[in-house]
Amino acid sequence: MRQLRIVLWIAVALALLAGGYLLINPKRQTPSTNTIELARMGGPFTLVGSEGRPFSSAKLNGKPYALFFGFTHCPDVCPTTLARLVKLRQQVGGERPFEIVFVTVDPERDGPAEVGKYTELFDSPILGLTGSPAQIDQVKKQFGIFSEKVEQPGGDYSVNHTSTVLLFDRSGKFGGTIAPEEQDDAAIAKLKMVSA
Amino acid sequence: MKAILTASLLLLASCGRGGTPDIQIVDAWARETVAGQAGTAAYMTVTNRGTGDDRLVDVSASPPVTASLHETSTDGGISSMRPLDGGLSVPGGDSVTLKPGGSHVMISGLTSPLHQGDLLKLTLRFERSGDKSVDFKVASATAGMDH
Repeated sequence: MRQLRIVLWIAVALALLAGGYLLINPKRQTPSTNTIELARMGGPFTLVGSEGRPFSSAKLNGKPYALFFGFTHCPDVCPTTLARLVKLRQQVGGERPFEIVFVTVDPERDGPAEVGKYTELFDSPILGLTGSPAQIDQVKKQFGIFSEKVEQPGGDYSVNHTSTVLLFDRSGKFGGTIAPEEQDDAAIAKLKMVSA
Repeated sequence: MKAILTASLLLLASCGRGGTPDIQIVDAWARETVAGQAGTAAYMTVTNRGTGDDRLVDVSASPPVTASLHETSTDGGISSMRPLDGGLSVPGGDSVTLKPGGSHVMISGLTSPLHQGDLLKLTLRFERSGDKSVDFKVASATAGMDH
């Protein structure tokens, strides 16, 4: 009986600790790339290319790629990330060591034309993809991507979203991530690894 | 916690040095856009060569374009933007740089694309130095990546 009481008290203490942790860190509950098994990250998908035609992920077979989800109305983090990937690709060296793939998380505003024009801003080939809201939702789920619309003053909206870049090797296997705050030399080492 | 932090920061700010601020804006640029993009970001370095502290409290543009001070923050891999409601402090003898991936001027309501070489006029309002009209030079989307 005494043992049971001790066990129960430990359970209560653990529950309180866990509750306290969640109260302190509510954002930890937000789905992110951590919530899906890394081995199952990705898989085949079909989206829509900038020409308005279906794009099958089979076209990426045999090519390493860096995958980034964002939106064309994004003022800072999206263009910064894509410009950085272009710069890193030059630093890795070789002729196009990996593909850069941009998928919009805002298919309502970003149609094929918008995505296509946007990717041309970076003076280096970037594959821009969109799709129906259902297709985008499916792909977000496959890659563990979170996004949510945030209303802005004046009726406009912004989108909070996962800004981590996902890396895949030429066999399509998940090969790591690049976070916005990560140093360039660490990012280049990872890119060289998946591009090998 | 946030309230205490804000209160302490405001208190600290009010204890700032009361000499004369001398504000200069350098490397002011905005990222080029393509048709259909209503927004972008602008960046700059604000230097204060004076002996008094100052604060950038607001940014404005010619309607229908709007401008506001924002900061990108990333938590648990998720990026979001928040308005810099308290502005940006520029202490005497110091400088503050707004750069890609951090503090920036968010531009919205563009009705035509900004091309490289264009000038985007913004008005910066400082708490003590008043309004300053600044031309932001439109630069390539791959600019500002050397930092």
